[in-house]
Parts: sequence; structure tokens; C-alpha cells
Amino acid sequence: MLDAIGVRSAEELFRHIPNELRFSAPPLPRGLSEYEVLQLLRRRAGENTPLSRWNSFLGAGCYDHYVPAALSSLVSLPQFVTAYTPYQPECSQGILQAIFEYQSFICLLTGKEVTNASLLDGATALGEAVRMALRLNRRGWVLLADSVHPEYKRTLRTYLSAQECICEEVPRAAAGTLDISAWRRALSREVSCCVVQAPNFFGLIEDAEEIHRLCRTTDTLLIVVANPLSLALFQPSGDLICGDIQPFGCGVNFGGPGGGYLAASRRMIRQLPGRIVGRTVDAGGNDAFCLTLQTREQHIRREKATSNICSNHSLQAIAAAVYLSLQGSRGLTHTARQCVRNTQYLYRKMKGLSGVTLPYGPGVFHEFVWQVARPAAVLEALRRKGILGGYPTGKEFPGLDGGILSCCTEKKTKQDIDAYVSALEEILHGGQVRV
Amino acid sequence: MVDRFVFDRYSGSEAPTYVPDSGVPDVSLTDIFPRKLLRETLPLPDPGERETVRHFSALAANNFSVDGNFYPLGSCTMKHNPRLHEQAAALEGLRDLHPYQPEDSVQGALGLLYELERCLCAITGMDYFSLIPSSGAHGEFTGMMMIRKYHEQRGVKKTHVLVPDSAHGTNPASAAMCGYATVVVPSNSGGCVDARAFSRALNEQTAAVMLTNPNTLGIFEEEISELKRMAHEKGALLYYDGANFNALAGIGAPRAMGFDVMHLNLHKTFSTPHGCGGPGAGVVGVTERLRAYLPVPRIERRDGRYSWSQGSPETIGTIRSFYGNFLVCVRAYAYVLRLGGAGLRRMSEHAVLNANYVQRMLKEVLDVPYDRACMHEAVFSCASLAGRGVRAYDVAKRLIDYGIHPPTMYFPLIVKEALMVEPTETESKETLDRFIEAVRAICREAREEPDRLLRAPLSRPGGRVDEARAARALEVKWNPAAGR
Repeated sequence: MLDAIGVRSAEELFRHIPNELRFSAPPLPRGLSEYEVLQLLRRRAGENTPLSRWNSFLGAGCYDHYVPAALSSLVSLPQFVTAYTPYQPECSQGILQAIFEYQSFICLLTGKEVTNASLLDGATALGEAVRMALRLNRRGWVLLADSVHPEYKRTLRTYLSAQECICEEVPRAAAGTLDISAWRRALSREVSCCVVQAPNFFGLIEDAEEIHRLCRTTDTLLIVVANPLSLALFQPSGDLICGDIQPFGCGVNFGGPGGGYLAASRRMIRQLPGRIVGRTVDAGGNDAFCLTLQTREQHIRREKATSNICSNHSLQAIAAAVYLSLQGSRGLTHTARQCVRNTQYLYRKMKGLSGVTLPYGPGVFHEFVWQVARPAAVLEALRRKGILGGYPTGKEFPGLDGGILSCCTEKKTKQDIDAYVSALEEILHGGQVRV
Repeated sequence: MVDRFVFDRYSGSEAPTYVPDSGVPDVSLTDIFPRKLLRETLPLPDPGERETVRHFSALAANNFSVDGNFYPLGSCTMKHNPRLHEQAAALEGLRDLHPYQPEDSVQGALGLLYELERCLCAITGMDYFSLIPSSGAHGEFTGMMMIRKYHEQRGVKKTHVLVPDSAHGTNPASAAMCGYATVVVPSNSGGCVDARAFSRALNEQTAAVMLTNPNTLGIFEEEISELKRMAHEKGALLYYDGANFNALAGIGAPRAMGFDVMHLNLHKTFSTPHGCGGPGAGVVGVTERLRAYLPVPRIERRDGRYSWSQGSPETIGTIRSFYGNFLVCVRAYAYVLRLGGAGLRRMSEHAVLNANYVQRMLKEVLDVPYDRACMHEAVFSCASLAGRGVRAYDVAKRLIDYGIHPPTMYFPLIVKEALMVEPTETESKETLDRFIEAVRAICREAREEPDRLLRAPLSRPGGRVDEARAARALEVKWNPAAGR
């Protein structure tokens, strides 16, 4: 090869790079054998305690659902794992159809007409949704429910910090849900969009349709952040619906990758960010798929694109499609119902514990917040008993002192929940934590 | 028989039993929730496990992939993805972790991220990296937001960003998301940024210059030090788009070239798989003076223990949920450990050698618009075939018949009928020779039988896919009414 090119060494190919810009090699240790790397990573893995070794009630935006074995096997197929974006439809029909089916599933769940091939995560999907709303009605005011996931709220603020717009938080009602009168006061024709989360950060089911009706009076768009698994049981609402597909077979992965989804009405499709798979035919008249409306995207539209997004989370989108296909309507309903049952059971048990306050009602999907006098000490005492009790909400929500957000997925059993409650009882009343 | 769609079976299997009945008392949803909030029907199919496995296995088989095909897609660095990475990412102790677990119980994960950050600093010369950005474009957004904050904190009003006319589309799109206008700088006859035009475009209102080096023509910007001097003189920062870092990973550090902020695509240079379009990771590196603006959270190491930190008060803030694509970082870490410093250098040398070989061997049949040694990718023009009515598009489609994934087409925008070939270091001479022979055969065909080319791929029974029709029809989901 060197002869063909006409150089004596590969080194010569870099001779046009000035010497002072080069080094002989990066200052890293020598390369390791495959076995050594695996041993090293196993050691790192051994320094962690995975969820399987805890009785975990952590949720708060990342949920420990069961991932079917068939899903892990299908999503590891190298033809999915090692392909890139299906720019060339003639050699990517399988990927394109899988993503088209993912889009179809998201539309069926959300009741919307269009969606894209995925975004990075739920928080950036919210950022994109709000930017989309600002483009759609060219107004400059955003109303944000304070009961949206704190990381989503902060991400949204970063996404809006370079935009000419005002983002105002609307406080929740005493019941933890949307305060319709506060929203009525805050709404005006200057408001581009309202952002609510349903179920909200505290797990409470919201009547988003009530806000939606209000929004229609000022031609304001309603953006709903929705856990897509909750849509198996609850009515979707909103002009734009977005969130994270993590509950659909992605696993917890220390927070990533999951994947973002964003669904909208058909009339909004030209403002939708990201790749979209559309249906068409080939020269032989057969059904076929390809990426479509690419003129919205950065590689064509550049600074006028709807978003800068290029790489997305397609493999997670395919995982979600596989998950929904494996579960089917029956499996998904069963899973969502078991989440509700388990959570109701824990809620009722907690209600009977002295020293525990339940600030809000039982109208929750699969997590709820409870309060205790010394949450950090309680969580630590639980941890020593092998229990991850939940996510402390105190830092993020000063009004909810001592709050702990606990989640029950379908994986929890009566024994797990009973063990949690008796451990808590022992901690609160066995003198381990002074309350 | 495989179902055409997962939606073809609405009354198939029974509910799967993936988890046991939890044993808690049943509840009635209408006792807890107002009926109006409950969903009446859930219109999902029930194909069951057997049909699902058959269906998606059939879909997977109907694609090109790096495992199955040579995939010289320029700018995307479609190299072999070692299986070691997949095994590492599947370790329960790395995969089955919740982002809000107590720090004590995730010391290995925090340590791994911390170490990976140190490795990336060693490779690039940068002082800090944030591993949170989840794609190249997300990294650009993050980097440009830091640049914006940097100027704001200094009370300087900046309005625009310079990008070369050969830049990736994400550059101007990311700049726009950060509130900056884009000023395009033309390339000179050598394919590099025109230093005089650059100097004219640059002024006190220039916030940053976004460059990828080597640029998208596969050419090293030799005047980079001069460009840097001019930019810094006007108070503009230099942003390095790491999409083309495969050419340089073991050769030289962007820091030495004067870059202040950069991103790396772990899914390109660091060989994490592309997964049909993602997930990737677009980790961002900065020099000391931008440290305060890094997104949060950060990881700190004190007395051998790792912990989360909320960074400095000047941080640009949160850019997504949790800590980015952790499992992508695990794979990249495995890759860096495996190669080491010398291995990374060999990697870049082979990538550049392979690209130059392809460029040299195809010179006789295709135009090389900038005829000089290239770096990791070679850009060709198919303009000379236009007389026969053959376009780059047709050449690309014909390659599918040879089992080769088409190169990137019509990019960079400044080359007519462009084909951008990035062979990567992991391909053998035999594979490159087969590719070269295929392109030569296609060029012969373009002269002798151009009509055949216009119908390619001929090996696919239905031929070409009608992309224009998709944009008119805008059918983006299954239509239950029509059963299709």
C-alpha cells in the first residue's frame, strides 16, 4: 500500500502537520489484552452494588422494569447494533421498518398523528418540544408546572437560555396536583406553551385536559411530559406529548441510554425535530420505507434547521418497539396495573405508620412522596438493611421537607414491600433514628 | 411465514408472564382515579414472543451493517466494533445501576467515568471533559453554550460564529440554538480555510470559530496556528468538532492546535456501535479557562473516594437527565484501555494509510477535487460521469449490488457530485481492493451501459425506493383503518 501511494512509511502521510502540533503518542499506558481489560472492568463492576442486590424503591425518572430475555437478544443482533442511520433505504429496509413500527407504537399510545425516530432522552425531548412550540406560534412566554421532574426543568432552562423567552414556574395546589386557578391567572395570549408532567414528579395523576381546555381559550399549546407506560391505563392529553422511553425495555443503565420521544399533530410535522421514517413504494411498486422530510434537518437546512440533532437513540427506539410487541396490549396493561397495585399497597401500609406523613392523596401511578423527620438518616438506616428507600425530594422542593419519593414497579412483590415497611417501622420505632 | 407487520396480529397470544403476580390485593382503578382520566381501550397488537422474535429477526437480516458489509460512510467512522465492548457493557455491575443510588454503592461506575475523563484529557490535551453530552450535536450545543457563558461573564457582546463552507450541518445548527448567527468562510483552492477571507470575516463580535481538523474534505488545516492567533486576537474562542478525530487520535492534540473547546464522538473514534443511528456520546473537553462553565453534575475524587459535585456557580447548568450515556462511556473506556497510547497512534496511522490508498487507486477513474494527500477520508467527485447522465447517487446505489454500503453522498457541499469515502483502519487491503475494483467496474459501466446504473441496485427485487413520494404522502405510522 505504501508503494502504491508513493511513501516509505505511514509516518510520512503526516509530514504536512507541523511538528509542534504532534506528539509521538498520547501519554497513556500500554494497551492491554482483551482478558486484562475484561478483568479490570469486572473489578470496577464489582465495586458497585447493582439493583438486583437491593430491595429498591428508586424511581424518579428512571424505572427498574423487567427486561424480557427475548428483547435483550433481539436488540443485540449485530445487524441492528452495528448499522448506522438508514440514509440508504435500499440496504436498510429492516431498520426503517423497525423504526416505522416504533413511531406507530408511540402514536397509538399517545393518540397523536406524528412522531420522530427518537431523541436523546426525555429532558432534551422537552427542550425540543418547547422550542418547537415557540416556532409554531412565535410567542415568547413559557409556563412550567413546578411538579415537572427537576432535571427536566433545569435542562429546559438551559435549552431556553439562549432564546428570547420568559419561563415562569406555576406552583402546584396543596394536593400536589395542578392548581387550575393559578394556571388561569398566569395564562394569556402571550403564552406560547404550558408544560405539565402527567403523572407528575410526585407520581400523581393529573387532569391535564382541564389545562388543555384553558389553553384553547388563548391558543396556547399544551406540552405534556408523560411516562409512556402510564399511557397504558390513563388517557393521553396535550398538543405535544414527550418523555422518555426508558420504561420500555431500556434498563436502568446508570441513567443512560434511555431515549426521548416527542409526538405531535400532523399539521406540526414540518416543525418536528429529528429523523422521521415515512412509508413509500419502490420502483417495483412494493411497500417500502425511507427517511423523509429531511429538508427540516441540519444536514440540509443548516442554521435554519428545526434542531441540530443528528445522532438519536434509534437502538432504544427499536428496543421500545420490541418491548411493546412482546408485551402486547395485554402484557402492557398487566404490567402497568401491577405497578398501580403494588404502589397502592405500599401507600396504604405507609399510611398506617406513625412518624410518616403522606402529603398527597393516593391517586398515583407508581410512585408517591412521603415525609419523615430525618429523611437522610432514615434512608441510610434502610440502606444498611439492603433497601434503597427512594429519592429524597427535600433539596429540590423546599416546601416538601423530609420528602422521599418511592416507586414500585411490577417487579416488586408483597414480600419486598412488607420487608420495606417492617424495616421502616423498626427504624422509626426501634430507636435507630430519633424522630 | 413471517408477519409483514407487528400490527398484523391483534388477537394472538395470551398476556406474557414475565414477572410473577406480586401477591398484593387487587384494586379497582375506578375506586382510585376519576373515570374520565382512565383509558378505555389500548389499541396495541398482541403478537406474542414467537412472532415478535421472528419478525424482528427478519427485519435485522434485511440490512447492511458493519458486521456484514464494508461500510465506508464518510464522516461517520464505521469501524469494527469489538465484541469486548458489548460484553463489558452487559456486566450486571455496570448495567444494573440506578442513577440515584448512594455514591458508596456506585464507586466503580464513578471511578470508571473519572478515569475515562483523564484518558480523554491525555489524548486531546484538554484539562477537563464532561461525559454527559449524548451525541456530537449535543456536544456542540454544550460547548457553544459554554462559550456563550464565557463571553457573557466577561461582559462582551458577541453575535456570530464563523464556520467554513465545508462544515458539518450540525455546526451552524448548534450555533443557531445558542443564539448566534453563522458567517460562512470560503475554502481556498487547496481545500483549506481561506486565511484572508477568514481574517475579513473575523471581528470583535465573533464569539467562536467552529472547525473540524482534518476538515470534511479530509484535509489537515495546515494554517491552524495562524487561524488560532487571528481568532484569539479578536477575543473569539476556537471550537473543535471531533467528528474527524479518527485521523488524529494518536498523532496530535487539539489543545496544541489552540482549540479551547472540543467534542469527541465516542461512537466514531472510540468504536462504540452506531445502533442504527444512536445512542452515541459527544463528550466535551475544555481548557482551564472554561472550567467554571462545564455542565453539571461533575465527578470529584477525594482521598480515593468519588462523589458527585454540583460544579461551579457559573455552570451552564443541566443539559439532559442523569449523567449521559453511561454504557457508551463504558465501551469507549474498554477501547482506550485495549489500545493504549501506542495503539491509538497505530489506529490513526492505519486509518490515514487506508484512505490514501483508496484515493490513490481511484484517482484514474474519479476526480479528486483537491489533489493532495488526504487524512482519514478521501473525497471524490463524480462530475466527470455527468456526460453519461450518471450521478454520484447512481454510483452509490450500484455499490449496494457489490455488497458495499454507499459512501456519504453530496457532502461536503462544496464538491460537485461528491462521494466521501472513509475506509477506517479496521479494513484489510483485500477489502479495500474489492471496493476499488467495484468502483472501477461501475465507472466502466457508466461509459458503456449507463442505463443499467440508473436502475441500480439491480440485486434488490424492487429496485430503488421512491423518496420523493414519501415526502408527499407523509405516512409516518401504521394505518389501522387501512390495515397497512
